[in-house]
This record gives sequence, structure tokens and C-alpha cells, in this order.
Amino acid sequence: MSKQIQDAYIVAATRLPVAKRKGMFGHVRPDDMLAHAIKSVMAQAPGLDPALVDDVIVGCAMPEAEQGMNVARIGVLLAGLPNTVPGYTINRFCSSGVQAVADAAARIRLGEADVMIAAGTETMSLMNQMMGNKIAINPAFFESDENYAIAFGMGLTAEKVAEKWQVSREDQDAFAVASHQKACAAIRAGHFKAEISPFAVKAHVPDLKTGEVKVKEYLADTDEGPRPDSALDKLAKLKPVFAARGSVTAGNSSQMSDGAGAVLVVSEKILKQFNLKPLARFAGYSVAGVPPEVMGIGPIEAIPRALKQAGLRQQDLDWIELNEAFAAQALAVMRTLELDPAKVNPLGGAIALGHPLGATGAIRTATVVHGLQRTKQRYGMVTMCIGTGMGAAGIFEAIL
Amino acid sequence: MSNFIVKKVAVLGAGVMGAQIAAHLANAEVPVVLFDLPAKEGDPNGIVKKAIDGLKKLEPSPLATKDRVAYIDAANYEQHLEQLKGCDLIIEAIAEKMEWKDDLYRKISPFIAPDAIIASNTSGLSINRLAEGLPASLRPNFCGIHFFNPPRYMHLVELIATRDTKPELLDNLESWLVSRLGKGIVRALDTPNFVANRVGVFSILAVMHHTQQFGLGFDEVDALTGPLIGRPKSATYRTADVVGLDTMAHVIKTMQDTLPNDPWHQYYAAPAWLSALIGKGALGQKTKCGIFRKDGKAIKVLDLKAQDYRDSAGDVDAEVLAILKNKNPAEKFAQLRASGHPQAQFLWAIFRDIFHYVAVHLEGIAHNARDVDFAMRWGFGWSQGPFETWQAAGWQAIAEAVRDDIAAGKAMSAAPLPAWVFARDGVHAAEGSYSASANKLQPRSTLPVYQRQIFPERVLGEKSVPGETIWENAGVRLWKLPQVDNEIGILSFTTKMHALGRDVIVGVQEAIARAEKELKGVVVWHEAPFAVGANLKEVAEGLAAGKFDLLDEYVGEFQKASMTFKYAKVPVVAAVQGMALGGGCEFLMHAAKRVIALESYIGLVEAGVGLIPAGGGCKEFAIRAAQNATKTGGGDVFEFIQPVFMTIAMANVSKSGAQAKELGFALDTDKIVLNANELLYVAIREARALAEAGYYPKLSPRGVKVAGRTGIANCEMMLANMKEGGMISAHDYQVAKAAATALCGGDVETGALVDEAWLLTVERKLFVELLKTEKTQQRIQHMLETGKPLRN
Repeated sequence: MSKQIQDAYIVAATRLPVAKRKGMFGHVRPDDMLAHAIKSVMAQAPGLDPALVDDVIVGCAMPEAEQGMNVARIGVLLAGLPNTVPGYTINRFCSSGVQAVADAAARIRLGEADVMIAAGTETMSLMNQMMGNKIAINPAFFESDENYAIAFGMGLTAEKVAEKWQVSREDQDAFAVASHQKACAAIRAGHFKAEISPFAVKAHVPDLKTGEVKVKEYLADTDEGPRPDSALDKLAKLKPVFAARGSVTAGNSSQMSDGAGAVLVVSEKILKQFNLKPLARFAGYSVAGVPPEVMGIGPIEAIPRALKQAGLRQQDLDWIELNEAFAAQALAVMRTLELDPAKVNPLGGAIALGHPLGATGAIRTATVVHGLQRTKQRYGMVTMCIGTGMGAAGIFEAIL
Repeated sequence: MSNFIVKKVAVLGAGVMGAQIAAHLANAEVPVVLFDLPAKEGDPNGIVKKAIDGLKKLEPSPLATKDRVAYIDAANYEQHLEQLKGCDLIIEAIAEKMEWKDDLYRKISPFIAPDAIIASNTSGLSINRLAEGLPASLRPNFCGIHFFNPPRYMHLVELIATRDTKPELLDNLESWLVSRLGKGIVRALDTPNFVANRVGVFSILAVMHHTQQFGLGFDEVDALTGPLIGRPKSATYRTADVVGLDTMAHVIKTMQDTLPNDPWHQYYAAPAWLSALIGKGALGQKTKCGIFRKDGKAIKVLDLKAQDYRDSAGDVDAEVLAILKNKNPAEKFAQLRASGHPQAQFLWAIFRDIFHYVAVHLEGIAHNARDVDFAMRWGFGWSQGPFETWQAAGWQAIAEAVRDDIAAGKAMSAAPLPAWVFARDGVHAAEGSYSASANKLQPRSTLPVYQRQIFPERVLGEKSVPGETIWENAGVRLWKLPQVDNEIGILSFTTKMHALGRDVIVGVQEAIARAEKELKGVVVWHEAPFAVGANLKEVAEGLAAGKFDLLDEYVGEFQKASMTFKYAKVPVVAAVQGMALGGGCEFLMHAAKRVIALESYIGLVEAGVGLIPAGGGCKEFAIRAAQNATKTGGGDVFEFIQPVFMTIAMANVSKSGAQAKELGFALDTDKIVLNANELLYVAIREARALAEAGYYPKLSPRGVKVAGRTGIANCEMMLANMKEGGMISAHDYQVAKAAATALCGGDVETGALVDEAWLLTVERKLFVELLKTEKTQQRIQHMLETGKPLRN
């Protein structure tokens, strides 16, 4: 079925550190974060003429207000790319970032483009509510049983998964602690250094004592979410948030975050022409729909499809970035597909590292392609569940 | 007389009392700086900041609204004493150690402005002795200012002069405390524990003594010494647990040390069991174990015989209960005394000994009997003070009974009753209350601030100003006070708990019609509560008869009453105190202006009985949302509906008058009054001012943009998640959806334009539909039977 005429290669992948909601990027605009990611990814391919970029695709889950107005094009211009470079914004909620990578790769694989930037950006700090600045729900959701679950919040769907897949509170909490431990160990070992482009933050704050505007400047170079002191007994004390007798807590759910990442995808022709060293080959991507009320199981459907498309078996995968939207759904996916826990999120996941919605896919692509290089492993995957009931999975083959 | 202005207050000591006094100052919009020692590590203001932060967690909240904490400045004695120079009132509230206080006074003296007032919140130390710690030049500016815990809620502040205190300083301070902070003042003498604690702690000691004497259980005594005799629910022993048993022992020790010649001195000692508990570290609530202990959900009580905790019961014998229910106090006390039941004998004994105690000590500790009674009402939450209880029960009969018991050796002390007791018929009279030291009746304070209290709290025998009735029916009375304002009417609800039944609904309309003809304005005022909501009994009767047409008409009349307030040709000012729930809240929302006591608890609680606000409450919020949306750039109505929807769906009630503004029941322009006794005075003047300024009602709004179907769906999304998460029932969902529908202007397209009549029709129809549901009917029935909401 494949109409691919050439391969797509990732020659650069980078990201900003991920900030806690209202944390170090609390006031930082998502278009500024995006511009920094684009600039940084271009800087990793010196010699490549920016005017050759055919298009820039940016994933964003709540593309409105500060990240509205086609944030992709704004990011391109703010990044200082020639104004001949176009850009567009896409939205598939939590998979938007990896969807951007897949779409960029697709254009190259079809021979329609040679240089593409795929990126993701998201601020959760500047949005008033989880569902964006203005909620406006369709009354039809409540007029039939079939549509009712579209209204379910993500946490509630995690409760449904925990119940149906029998994931205990204890297992969820243990999974969360492990995520923090792995992330903290990775930070200590410097494993994120290769993928992070530190971001110089400037904040204009009122100094009420002097009446002057004070400019606070700091360099953000480390993920803000991981907690070295995360412990089972502390997590056990947290109350369920989404259900009276539930098991999903703030501690075993992904953190709300701000962040951005970008990936430079090129054809073989460009590799040769500019003598670029590829990090990875794009090997395949798939999405699948599942019932909205158990949206967390999306990867159960998406992973086999992506493997089939890439012509791989599950055991061929060396590294799986499974987005930890909730410990409940991550565990349900791992158990159902019998994923090897040692291969899943070796550097921690969204419970520790954070989950800036539409940016996460681009960010974790950077993690996996750099991780494979560092560990000299071959196949990696970025996969996640998606609100309203979908799953996505993208596969990368390291070029060592 | 020049104005007395307090620009800024310093509170020294960020302990339990200091921090809460600072909080109450912030509640009253008084700039305040809170001092404590510098922290040894980290932020030098760390100790104070931690105390300020702790205010947010206390229940009941010392803060009228959460944001009040931001208005308490933190300071420490090392770095910020200069700030004292800008303070004209300095309240010292550090630990009760004379040498610490002396040290602190020495340290702050150079920074105190010459005219500033310095006042100590000590509860046990001599004010005259404390004054010696200050330079002579500052002593005339020093006095005692004794707040009660918790200071926001306890009405009493005792003011204590020293030999040197300037009289005008006390007058100014009293006036300010009464009007600005809303307190009730008792001028106390500089005697140990002043008035309230002196009598109150003796009362506790007497209860402890007789508990053992009559072999009663602690739980049993709490059942006897709570609301049944007009005292707080926490009664005696649970109060001790809440206060802290160590604190209690400390106060008792103060009496032991400082009152060696008191006839009751032998009782000024902690009983052995109390010392034993303290020795074990069982200090009450703060250590989760004291006289009572919580075991999961069960409450256990210490059983002295078994030396262990057992299930708390606290049954009052039917015979004793029957006596206590007797409304004739003379008969009641005679029966208690005559009964052979140990519970009755116990009750007589504790009253007898307290009567005995206050009679003997009146001369030494208080200016007059009124001060003792108010001290106990305001400082200990008694519904009646000891003297008025005695007088109501027949002064001479009780005096003789006490005398006989003393003679028979039954009383705790053999000290004879003072002679004046037998020379009088009582201590309270229209002209004033008896002063034993002056041997005459003392009238009330003549300070001008009390002119603001048209109906102050009265003790037995005092007369109220009469009012002139203009019109009345079985539910309301329209009247006026010609001596205050002959053209401003006062509309008072006369039903039980000021529930809003047909008589009130119809009466309001008639009264306003009359006011429009012959008055310049109307104040809706009566004692607390403002109103507990619609008369559910009438609703239930309609339901039982299945008369939904009549119920529909009933709601229509309710709406008319609200609209009568809103569109009256003369200004209607709602003077609100205490609970204002359901229909009561809707009524006040429709007034031209609100004057609200700080201690007001306002909310639309209809969801509790499976209904929605339909007296115009949802309608008002829909209109306000549309008006607010017009003022913002986006014009999104739902933004303003969302918080209100949650408030109504959760039946949230404001925890203060100030918070009622945050919840939208009151407007920013409404007045918060700290002293509820001033409400009527302020409201009459507000009504007069509105009238003088040429008041006219606005036209009924048209073109009201509603949130419509998408708004309802937005609310439903929240409800769906709560229902699926097991947080609300299917009926909660249905009720809340009805509220959402009313708030969003009905099942119409988002942005549709409607008018006020449409909105009223929408909420009325939804209300009647809910009335037809079985679960709402069950909720109403349950509320009528138990007074509590049913979750079904």
C-alpha cells in the first residue's frame, strides 16, 4: 500500500526543558518557546540553507489566544527564518507533536518536500482552563448515549480504564514513584543534555518597593517536574480527584506543563548535499480510534498498527516513549500489549517530566532519537493516548 | 469633639490571638502590621509569615475573605520597630510572662508616637503592673484590651484602665472597637482574670466539682450544660478540650496564685483527673485526645471509674428534660431544686453556686451587674448572664434558696450573701443595672457611638424604643421610628425564623405599595436571621394536595414580591444579618442596596431540597452576566455564568458578608457593617441618602443576551463528570441542570436576546417541574422532618 519513494531522516531534534505549569515558563509565550525551538534545531544543521525549508508544521492542542493565529507561521517569523518559509498548525490533542513529525516525514517520503521542520508548542500556564480559554460544548453530547462520553474529562476516563483493566491504586502510585526516580537519575547523569536547548527567560516584574520595572533573567536548562522526594507513602495520602471512590490522583497523573520541541526532517538528497549526519530514519506512524470513555488505551490499538506499517515486531523495539497521561492507562497499555517495562520510559515519563499537551510528541521524539544514539540501540517509538479516544504511535530507526 | 482616627494598628505577637486579632483588623479594612521575633534562620519575618499563612487553614475562618491575609504586613522586632512610629494603636499579645512583656515594652518605647494607644491583650496579668514597664510619659496611653478567642466571632472585648489611663482614651478606643471592629465592650476592673474569665472559669470549676459530687459522666454533664440551659453546644468539657486542658489548668493556676483570700480559693485547683490527663499529654483537641477522644467516627469519653474511654452517650433523663422545657423560670428553678434526680440536683447546684459567686464578687470585679451578664453572653456564649437568669427566676425566692443552701452547708462556700441582695428585687431595671460598689443603679454608657444602636442588646428589665406600626399582616410589619426618621419605613418579617410564606410574600407587596404612597424609602430589617428561605411547609402542603397549578401561582407571587423590591418607586435597602438563604437571598438581591453585617451567611441553597432559585435569583444572575459580558471585549456571557452555576449547584453559602460580594449575592457598592447592632441605623441613613439623591428604579432590562444551549452544555459537561465520578447523584444532576438552564436563559440558542419576564418564566417552569419529581418531594419532606438535606 505504501507509495513511499524515499526515506525521511531526522538530522536534528531538540527541545526546551519542560516547565511546571505556572513555573519557570509561567509567563513565557508559546510562540517565543516555538521560535527558540525552531532556531535551535536549525542551528544543529549548520550549512543547511534555511530558505530550503519547504514547510513548518507545528502541533498544538489548544491553538488559541497566545498560541492561536496559526502559531506555526508566527514561530517561523519570530525565529528569523526567511519569510518565504511557510508554516501551519495542526491539532490532534496530545499527539499533535508526533503527528507533525509524521506529516513532515510523509511530505518527504512522497517526494513533495526535501526539508521540513516538525514542532510542537504548548503553554498550559497561560490558558485559563484545561480546555482552553473558552469552553463551548455541543449540546448534542447529552442528547444521546453514544455521544455522552465525549464530555468526559481525561481524569475520569483514566478512572474508567483503572476500573476496567483493574489497575490498583498501589500499582499506579508505584509507577509514579518509578517515573520520578528514573527522571531524576537521568537528569543527574546528564542524559537530557544532548536534546535540551537551554532557554534564556526574561521576566518583567513590578518591584512594588522601588516603583521600577525589574527584569528578571534566568537560564532554564533542566526539566522542572521531577521530584527527588517522591515516595509511596506521600502519594498514598493524596485524594482521588476525578471520582469519589477513585484511584487517580494528582500524584499518579501527568503534570500540567509548558514546553516546545522541534525536529528537522530531510530527504536523502539533502543529507548528501549538505553532508548531514542523520540521527534516525522515520520508520512509520499510525493512529487509531477507541471509545472516548477509555481514551487512555489508545496505544493498544495504535502500536500494532504502527509496527505493521514499519514491518517490525514488537520485540524489535528497543526504546518506547509511552506518554504517561495517567499511570492507570500507561499500565493498562503495558500489560495488555506485554510491553517490556525495562524498555518503557527509561528516563521517566510525563508523570515526572510533564506533559505540555501538543508539544509532547515533538519533545519525546527528541528524547528517543538522542537516547537511541547514546545507547547505540536501533528502534524507538513515541506513543500516546489522545483525548476523545485515539492512540498514536511513531517509530524511528537510529542511524548509528 | 475631634475625630478619633486609627490610621494603622500594630499587633505584637503572632500567636493564636495576635494573628487572629490582626486578621479581624484586616476584615475591618484597618491597615495592620503584625510583629514577632525575627526567625533565627531564613526570612527574618518567617515566624510572622507562617502565622499569617496559618490563618488560611483555621476553621471557623478568622478571615472574612481569603484575600484578607494579603493585607496583614509582616514585621519583626529587630528590623522594623521604626514602623511603630506610624501606628496609633499598638496591641500587645505576646505570651503571658511579665518579664517578657517588660522587656518588649522597654524595647518598643522609643518608637511609640506620643499620642499612640498601647494596649495589652493579657488575660491574667495586672494591667497596673504592666504599665510600670513603660516610661511615665506613655502610661496615660496604656490600658488592657482583652479579646476573646476566636476574636472575629466572640463579641466581647474587656477594656481595663490603669490608675493613669486617660479617660478620653478609653472612650475613644471603646467607640472605635464597637463601631469599627463590631465588638461589645465591658469596662473591667484590674482584678485577676477580669470579669468574664473570672466568672466563666469559676463556672467550669463548679461544674467539675458537682460532676464528681453527683457522680455524673462528662458526656452527661455536657448534655446538661449545653443548649438545654442556654449555653454553647460544646458545653463544658468539650469546650475545655477545644481550649486545651493545659491552658485551662494555667488559667486555674492564675486564680490560685492571685486570689489567696477568695472564699472559693480551695476550688481554684485543677482536679486530680485533669492533672493526670495533662501529665499523659492528653491536652484535648490539639493532641486529639483529652476528656473526649475520636475513634474513627465514634466519639469516646473518659470514664473516671473505669479509667478508660467509652462510647459517649450523654442522655438527659426525661424528668429533668421536662423541667428544663418549662418556660416559667421561677417554676423551673424550684423544680430543679426540689427534684431528687441527681441531674436536676446537679443543675440546681451549679446555678446556685454561680449565683452565690457573682453576688459576693460583684462589688470587687465589675462596675455593675449588666457588665457581668454581658461578659458571660459575649465572652462565653451564654444566652443569659447569671444575674438576669437569677432575676427572671424571681430574685428573692432564689436569694432565699441560696441562703438556705449556704446555711445547710450545701453550697461550695460558706461566705454569706451580701446584704444588698436581700434589700432588692433584682439588679436590672429600666433606669440601669445595680452597682454594688456605688450601691445604685447605673445607666448605660452615654458615649455617642451607642446612638448608632437603635436596638442594642438588652438585659432583663430594660425597655426598647417603641416603633409606630403603619400596616401589618400575619407575615410582615411595616413600621417606622419617627424619632429616627419619620419618612423611612421599616419592613420586618414576623414569621418564625423569618421563613417566607404566603403571608410574607403578599405582605411585602402590600407594604411596598403603601410605602410608595406615604414614605420616602424602606429598610428591610429584623433581628437575625434575615430569612431562612421559603416556607417549605406550605410547599409540602401544596404537594400533598397535588396542586401544582397553585404551586406555580405561589412561585409567581414570590417572583412578584422580589420584583416589587426591585422596581419600588422608593429605595428599598436590605439590612442583612445572620442567615439569608434561598428566597431570603433572592429578596436581598432585588433590593436597591444592601447593608450587610460581617457575620452574614448568604446563599442560594435550593439544591439541598431538590429545587432551583425561582424567586428571581437565577434571573438576576442571568441579567448580571449579560451586563458584565457587554462590558468585556469578548462579550462571552458564559464566563460570568460558570462561577455562579457552581455556587448554586453546590448550594454554597458565604462565610461572611464580605464573601457574599465575592459570590455575587451582594455588589461591590454594598456596605459591610462590622457591628450588627448598627445595621438598622446605617440602613435607614442609606435609604434616606438614596431618597435624597433622587432615587428612581431602572427600567426592566431588555435585549438580555443569554448563554443558551451551549452554556447549558458547558454546565452539563461538569455535571456529567461529577456524576460519572460518583460525586453527585442522578437527581443532583437533574436539579443542577435545571439551575444551568435557568441561568442560561432556557433551551435557546447561545446569544439569544430575551427580557426579564422570559427569564422569570423559565425559572418558574423549571422549579415546578422539579417539584413534580419524587426525589425532590422526598428531599423537602426530609428537610421538614430532620432539618437536614437529603442526598438522594
